[in-house]
Amino acid sequence: MLDTASETTLLSVRGLSVVADGPDGPRQILEGIGFDLKPRQILSVIGESGSGKTVLARTLASWIAAPLRVTAGQVLFKGRDLLADRAYARGLAGREIAYVGGNPAGALDPTMTVGAQLVEKLRAVRPDISASDAKAKAIRLLQAVRIPAAERRFHEYPFQYSGGMMQRAMIVDALISDPALLIADNITQPLDVTVAAQILKLMRELNSEFSTAILFICSSLPVACDASDEVMVLNKGRVVERQTPDRLTAAPQHAYTSALIAELPTLWQEGPQRRRPAATEKPIMSVRGVSKAYETRGKSGKALVQAVRHVDFDVFAGDNFGIVGESGCGKSSLMRLLTGLERPDGGQILFQGEDVGAASARRLRELRREFQLVLQDPYGSLPPQSPIGAILEEPLKIHRIGNRAERRDRARAVMSEVGLHPGLYESLPTGLSAGQRQRLNVARAMILEPSLLIMDETLSALDQTEQGKLLDLFERLQAQHGFTYIFISHDLTMVRQVCSRIAVMYLGEAVEVAPNDRLFFDPGHPYTRALLSAAPTLELRRYRPEDCLLEGEPPSPIDLPPGCAFASRCPQAFDRCRSQNPALLSRGGQALAACFLNPTNEATHV
Amino acid sequence: MSSMDITSAPPEIARERKVSTRIWQQAFASVEFRIGLIVLTLLIAAALLYPQLSGIDPTKMNIKAKLTPPVFMGEGWTWAHPLGTDQLGRDMLVRALVGLRYSLLIGVSTTVLMLLVGALIGLFAGYFGGRIDTVLMRLTDAQLSIPMIILAITILGVSRPTIPSIILVLGLAGWPVYARVMRSTVMAERKKEYVRGAMVLGATDWRIMFTLLLPLVLPPMAFVAVLDIARMMIFESVLGFLGLGVQPPTPTFGNIISDGRKYLMNAWWIATMPGVFLVLVLTSINLMGASLERARNAIYGGA
Repeated sequence: MLDTASETTLLSVRGLSVVADGPDGPRQILEGIGFDLKPRQILSVIGESGSGKTVLARTLASWIAAPLRVTAGQVLFKGRDLLADRAYARGLAGREIAYVGGNPAGALDPTMTVGAQLVEKLRAVRPDISASDAKAKAIRLLQAVRIPAAERRFHEYPFQYSGGMMQRAMIVDALISDPALLIADNITQPLDVTVAAQILKLMRELNSEFSTAILFICSSLPVACDASDEVMVLNKGRVVERQTPDRLTAAPQHAYTSALIAELPTLWQEGPQRRRPAATEKPIMSVRGVSKAYETRGKSGKALVQAVRHVDFDVFAGDNFGIVGESGCGKSSLMRLLTGLERPDGGQILFQGEDVGAASARRLRELRREFQLVLQDPYGSLPPQSPIGAILEEPLKIHRIGNRAERRDRARAVMSEVGLHPGLYESLPTGLSAGQRQRLNVARAMILEPSLLIMDETLSALDQTEQGKLLDLFERLQAQHGFTYIFISHDLTMVRQVCSRIAVMYLGEAVEVAPNDRLFFDPGHPYTRALLSAAPTLELRRYRPEDCLLEGEPPSPIDLPPGCAFASRCPQAFDRCRSQNPALLSRGGQALAACFLNPTNEATHV
Repeated sequence: MSSMDITSAPPEIARERKVSTRIWQQAFASVEFRIGLIVLTLLIAAALLYPQLSGIDPTKMNIKAKLTPPVFMGEGWTWAHPLGTDQLGRDMLVRALVGLRYSLLIGVSTTVLMLLVGALIGLFAGYFGGRIDTVLMRLTDAQLSIPMIILAITILGVSRPTIPSIILVLGLAGWPVYARVMRSTVMAERKKEYVRGAMVLGATDWRIMFTLLLPLVLPPMAFVAVLDIARMMIFESVLGFLGLGVQPPTPTFGNIISDGRKYLMNAWWIATMPGVFLVLVLTSINLMGASLERARNAIYGGA
């Protein structure tokens, strides 16, 4: 009877419960999980952080340790219970059941070439295979996941790979033993949207080519729906719903799923839109032809990384300005220039008419009272071991404002303004959640009453609900204090919600600067279209990834090709794009784009 | 944790107290800390007060009472000399306690000196990097390449060994290790986002170095330095033993051990007593240091 069952189901989970032992007794993490997975099937598991997704993935991969403990249930793999037979389960792990995590950089051994690691893995699993066969197989798989020049890349070290390539290498590492089941735990999380879209497409192809069943763990509903045949929704350790993506989004059965869907911000549909402030005519910050290059030491001596190239835009007072782009596009370098942490090689950054890039150190310190930065990492951006009150008073002390009592009152006032209980004044930030930490960061930035706040990926570490709350907070603070915001982000849906004007960056250039609606409904640059096509959304897409983006990754910013930087990935590129670089020119109605396809665009600069 | 109510009051009222107060309170709550504190206080009080109060001169000889064993430890012991006497009939308790004064003075001030010098040099080298780093670190390497004992013999052999010169020599020989550790810690911390955050707020380099980084990286080093107090006290004994320490008849641990060496077979207590006091002092300091560190880690939660 077991044999017949194993032909139709590969993996069958029955009543699985896992607890975490803690000082207050065991805490239930998973409760009565049950599902079946057929060969070749892709099943997504989604849920917010803390729902037990990763614990589920690791339980199936026989990779749980104290304080986690399985209290009940069965995990039948081809009819045999993995939980009852630990030795059998260990034998399967890495062979029949492969696991890929979301941190490829941490999973690869930095001291070995990628190829050597793959061969080592394969030969550990299959001792009978010869070294040359193993190498051939590794290269074939590297080609299958579209690593360019796989034979050369085989001999390279992980640090020579980009994030997307490392993730592909990890997939190869998992697939090399021909597993029957692949557990993909948040594999697209750290990747850029265009790269993540390619990985998802790749995963589907591999699924049909190698007939591997995939359990796809993910925290984003749109990504899960894109990736899989069926979606299983997990909430607080229980399965609340299991459906095909279409049925799930069209007719969710459970209130939790409906709430999850309703909460998703939309790109094109009219949802509950936020108020976008109307742009005034007075620029508060003007960026004029700003460039920055960094020197690095490569194999052939010194090389220049062109991080920011001739960026131009104006930010108007009271406005929400967005800067979007993928990793490596120069957003962070631009942020360092805008905040005066570094000085540009060329061009001007005018803040209220004064050049930040040329200001003296003393003048820059004075100017900093007027523009502040809120950093990305909620954990690394707060000084460790400082109590919350001291963190908030630090800016006041730096600028010698007020006496001890006044600073204390001001800190408490700001705390309640951002929604932190003033009773936390003497507490350390250790106990705060990521969202609370970002509130603290915002409080620290606004205690000096600046006029411009630069948000560097401030919300990217937070989940959807928390993002929404913070956006409400930003809106309220803007109404009260008249702040101008610059949002630097990779998240199109967030920018769509709050920004009135948006600059899109690609390889150090602003390729398009346009008002919000214009950018999303009538983008003037092929790269913008590619970004839009790859954005995770449940909506009917206006652009399909296949039409917008060629295979491959951005060229290296060290040796940029002549002409348009996007030409190598642009489906519409023609000869002129490869020799001349289009300038950022007006398309009318405040929209600017740098593409030869736009009719008014004639001028060029190199 | 996102479901947590942001504006909810903190669970414990205790949080309203200052962090440093909480650390001391938590450390004080541990038995080890109290034992260490009591033993150390008693020892220091005895070292400071007993020689004066008892009126016994540590250098006064009494040949008739020479080599008296400690109480209960052999024939002829007397309550007049609880720890016995040495080969010249000098009272061992007074001598050991006076020796402890010198040892503590030299051990603690040497450690503080080398910690401060090392931390400052490491802080500058690690924070500014580049040329400043190169110069300071080559200086450190140069210092590190000279063995401590040879340096001490050279300097103290030429000049007269006084207490300040001994402190200076030992401190000079010890700082490079701290400079190294400090430099690498500061280099790692400097790259973190909160340092960039402080720069954006307008903090000067000086402020970042001394109000942000130093309080953060100095305490863990200070806990290590506690162990070095022991090392330095032992080094002082070694110098004394070599005749390069504080000169006899002043009783330092080194001098006492050096004297007692010849009588090790029939009067073991002379050479042993300094060791007993060293063990007591160092154990109590370590007990306190360890519970303080534990309290710090518990309160900062590893941050």
